[in-house]
Amino acid sequence: MTHTLAPPARSTLGTPVVATTAARKRRLGPGRPIPYGRALGPLLVIAVWSTASATGWLDPRILSAPWTVVATGVELVDNGKLPDSVLTSLRRAGLGFLFGGVIGTALAIAAGLSRVGESLIDGTVQVKRAIPSLGLIPLLILWLGIGEGFKVVVIAIGVAVTIYIQTHASLTGIDNRYVELAEVVGLNRWQFVRKVVFPGALPGFFVGLRLGVTGSWLFLIVLEQINATSGIGYLMFQAQNYGQSDVIVVGLVVYGLFGFVSDALLRLAERRVLAWRRTMGG
Amino acid sequence: MASHDGRVTAVRVRDLVRRFGERTVLDGLDLDIAPGEFVALLGRSGSGKSTLLRAIAGLDYDVTGSGDLRVPREISVAFQDSRLLPWLRVLDNVVLGIPGDARERGRRALAEVGLAGRERAWPNQLSGGEQQRVALARCLVREPAVLLADEPFGSLDALTRIKMHDLLRELCARHRPAVLLVTHDVDEAVELADRIVLLEEGRIGLDVPIDLPAPRSHRDPLFQSHRDRLLLALGITEGATP
Repeated sequence: MTHTLAPPARSTLGTPVVATTAARKRRLGPGRPIPYGRALGPLLVIAVWSTASATGWLDPRILSAPWTVVATGVELVDNGKLPDSVLTSLRRAGLGFLFGGVIGTALAIAAGLSRVGESLIDGTVQVKRAIPSLGLIPLLILWLGIGEGFKVVVIAIGVAVTIYIQTHASLTGIDNRYVELAEVVGLNRWQFVRKVVFPGALPGFFVGLRLGVTGSWLFLIVLEQINATSGIGYLMFQAQNYGQSDVIVVGLVVYGLFGFVSDALLRLAERRVLAWRRTMGG
Repeated sequence: MASHDGRVTAVRVRDLVRRFGERTVLDGLDLDIAPGEFVALLGRSGSGKSTLLRAIAGLDYDVTGSGDLRVPREISVAFQDSRLLPWLRVLDNVVLGIPGDARERGRRALAEVGLAGRERAWPNQLSGGEQQRVALARCLVREPAVLLADEPFGSLDALTRIKMHDLLRELCARHRPAVLLVTHDVDEAVELADRIVLLEEGRIGLDVPIDLPAPRSHRDPLFQSHRDRLLLALGITEGATP
């Protein structure tokens, strides 16, 4: 719009004004990024929320004011409820993710490196993949009850399948030329796995990890809201019964932080481990 | 290294047959390479040059065939692509598969191919010529009795290729491996080889010793007569035949 309001600048010294007109030319791309632009949207939401609460337009029974949420959060930390719940939830998700990750990776390696393993494992996992993990909940409750073990198992199954799929695809996609090279330089089986297979499968493994960690939070939330007596989800479920929207928002913030921090950590690890990839294409 | 009929050979191939389905690619092929000898293998596209090299390298599993192959254990292969593992640094690529701590040897090999100081680089940070030099260092550091090279300079530009020829000649003179260089470039063959063999209809059709003094010049009339003879044998008539 600006170029229709002001005529192109003229140089008073009579030198060509190419640079000036070029700068005025409209670019087709979205242009330069706004500093901290991504924070603007969420900040705007909070501003609207605060205004609505302060003017009394927003009923606290529907959604508590931001400052109430902060105060509740502080209070929940002080009385130890929030740290306890966070630790319980972290333990469930962490254990599930750990077991699931180890099992998924081990199965992927077994299926990727031997034909027997492939025959036994791959078909089975693909069948399991077609059944949503949450659909297994009734059966698993029959078998395991509704204790901690059950929750960890549900999360672990979901994570294992996700990591298996990605890692296995990446393993079987390793360039045959590298296999040939490994034979020529006389690598034994273990060296081959360590120097060629693992590093070659790492990109896919990391995709699996990131999807798996997202999945583990998802399962956690579902599990903690249907049958739990502790954890963040339970805290929120109780708050729902008592109409405490501030506690629910605190729980959501904690879930959000879980997801954000775990993804950031994985991305950091990925950047470190896959440093060789960054150099691709110059 | 094996001794037969009083002659020492680094590579001895007898009656080698290789088939791909209905097509017989190698049909009773015999070939000897003496220790330290530089043999260039020429042939038309699809004549089975790579099949022979892969047979000698022990890289042909899914083919049917027969024959007697005697090769030493210390074989290195240089491929057309440098085939460096992108996730290993240059030095780790060079010493890949060598038992024990070979890093010092690897460093020396890298220095020999003119890449001292690039040990910590990732392969993707190097140019095509540099990557191929790393691949050469990876071959040499194993002190191979036989070096098999499958068009190792095929993907390089002309200028880089000239430099690589000089480097390969120099390295072979120093380390004296028996070399089998598969190439489609007659000039390259005449420039580098002690002997040129031509693969025709599944066998060695022409076996020409090249006894030109070093340094070999393309302008040398003997160079040109070898070149023309080989081109003729490959079915290409170009320039004047003497």
